[in-house]
Amino acid sequence: MGALQVLIMGNYLGIDVGSITTKMVVINEGDEVLAEVYLRNNGRPLEAIQQGLESISSRLDGETSIDGAATTGSARHLAAYLVGADLVKNEITAHSIAVIDLFPEVKTVFEIGGQDSKVILLRAGVVVDFAMNTVCAAGTGSFLDQQAARLGISIEEFGTLALKAKHPVRVAGRCTVFAETDMIHKQQIGHSIEDIVGGLCDSLVKNYLNNVCRGKEILSPIVFQGGVAANQGIRKALEKELETPLIVPEHFGLMGAMGAAKLVKRVKPFRTQFKGFELSRKSCLTRGFECSECENQCEVVELLVDREVVACWGDLCEKYRKSSSVVSQ
Amino acid sequence: MKVTFPHLGTMHIFCKAIAETAQIPYVVPPETSRKTLTLGVLHSNESICLPFKIILGNFIEALQMGADTIVMVGSGPPCRLGLYDLVQKAILEDMGLHYRWLTIPPRLTLQAIWKNYKETKELKKELSWKNILLFPYGLRMGWKKMMACEALEKLAMKVRPREVKKGETQKHLKKALSGVDEARTLRTLNDALQKGKAILQMTGQDFSRIPLKIAIVGELYTVMDPHINRGVEQKLGELGAEVTRTSWFSTHILRSLRKNKADQNSERIRFFEASKAYLGYDVGAECNLSIGEAIVRSKEGYDGVVHLMPFACMPETTASGILTRVGKDWDIPILTLILDEQEIEGRIQTLLEAFVEMLQWKRKAA
Repeated sequence: MGALQVLIMGNYLGIDVGSITTKMVVINEGDEVLAEVYLRNNGRPLEAIQQGLESISSRLDGETSIDGAATTGSARHLAAYLVGADLVKNEITAHSIAVIDLFPEVKTVFEIGGQDSKVILLRAGVVVDFAMNTVCAAGTGSFLDQQAARLGISIEEFGTLALKAKHPVRVAGRCTVFAETDMIHKQQIGHSIEDIVGGLCDSLVKNYLNNVCRGKEILSPIVFQGGVAANQGIRKALEKELETPLIVPEHFGLMGAMGAAKLVKRVKPFRTQFKGFELSRKSCLTRGFECSECENQCEVVELLVDREVVACWGDLCEKYRKSSSVVSQ
Repeated sequence: MKVTFPHLGTMHIFCKAIAETAQIPYVVPPETSRKTLTLGVLHSNESICLPFKIILGNFIEALQMGADTIVMVGSGPPCRLGLYDLVQKAILEDMGLHYRWLTIPPRLTLQAIWKNYKETKELKKELSWKNILLFPYGLRMGWKKMMACEALEKLAMKVRPREVKKGETQKHLKKALSGVDEARTLRTLNDALQKGKAILQMTGQDFSRIPLKIAIVGELYTVMDPHINRGVEQKLGELGAEVTRTSWFSTHILRSLRKNKADQNSERIRFFEASKAYLGYDVGAECNLSIGEAIVRSKEGYDGVVHLMPFACMPETTASGILTRVGKDWDIPILTLILDEQEIEGRIQTLLEAFVEMLQWKRKAA
């Protein structure tokens, strides 16, 4: 048994490429985090993935081999084509798996990321319901980012500033455009920055609870994760509104990547598709063109690694896709 | 005279058949594409719903191809579909396009005949006796083709979750439907239908699978047209779910003819009755039926319900609010997807994948 266990001991890489940030984590058989990376995409996910691979490999000891790789997040397919993934999983499932393993008793998961906000309801370790913002991105990380930039404060300061608010102002939270108009009005009539930032946190939390969580049975214990969980102001506002403390996991920003890594660990691929960390030193680029064969005018994207087309997508008729490798779900 | 009609699921196949058999010249608008949507969005009022924009795009493209007579269904309030014909008429006129408009009424009433009186008088001059004599046969042909398309689509919904090679069913369905499209007589149509069924059955299937059962409910355009709903039906099938829906052309036509109450409509009456626990009166369009169907499907042991609606659709917005309650009361997961013009195919895929996975977990846990 002992020998067998050594044989099946492996390390697994989870990659979560979101709209704003890219997260990577390597775990071992015992779910210990061996290395982690959290970096901004700056609108270039491909470069971010390469950078991420480079920095995560520098944090691993040279002998660590990767026995399975999984991708998640809104650019999960792009990432999978690039790095060679054994598993591609949607972010809702990935986030749920990470929570269920760490906190089996949890009943609600709040996840607020760059463009997405989700709520996942768990009962007895099983997902029973979930919701995700569809038509509106109000209250997500990118809007907070934008407002912080407008006020000339860093996003890291944002939360602590909100905590200092004495009389948080009322800000319309239904839509980012309304919220911004309201904030500018409040600033022009002389409210302090702390009170405005505090007010924004309150209104975004109300928007999230009223829209994304509408009609959902929010029971504690509640886990709060995703990039926005770093924001003290939002965290406090949520706790105040729900009158219950929230659990913020240690790796709150990496939960999607952790979930992906855990899922591929369960699959235990016989031989991993992972192309290795050397990828970070190869030339990778995407090239887009508009196909003019039919009225659909598909925007086709080709992925090139070392000047060779390794994958292709975006074509509704799948004419260009023949050459690319098939990534299993 | 050149007749045209909007795209809606397989509607063009049987509309074409009617015109063809009656020897009336016709134009089938190009398949709904990004260009169609762009044209529709450009010319429609900002806050109108997605089906309106796409149908308008179809008309513009068809008129540019030389069509001069538009045939469109109409309905009554409170759904905006009731205003589609009037508003689209005004827009197309503003664009300087020339055409004649025929509204097929939702119910055959005197008022409806009056509404089309002027146009029909005009048309009579242009139609030959041959056209008029052949028209009943054309209708029969159209009806048979519609039923053939529906039979093939229903079969594909059963085959898809068991297919071994992802996407094979869809390819076979396309082939089968084009066979139906090409048939010219009732006899060849019957052959095409049998052949189509055989093609679909040839799909490599794994019969050991027990697929999830999911019902699609909601606003009829978004439920019936894969361009509007970004192929939700196909996506769910390929994720391994057997999908059912009750919005078909035959259901809606039979309803407007007030026929077959005992047969087809009984299902809809059942849904309507079930919705009474939540709604005191008929909200209009498919609202009550979306709610009622979710309840009935829960009782029938379905695993989940996917509710489709265009952004800002009044009847279905009402339904979606009530459905969150229905889901809790009847213990059936309901996923509402709101569709609009933006590129949300990736997001829809994510939501559907997560939904199907959740249902699979739920089934395993039970």
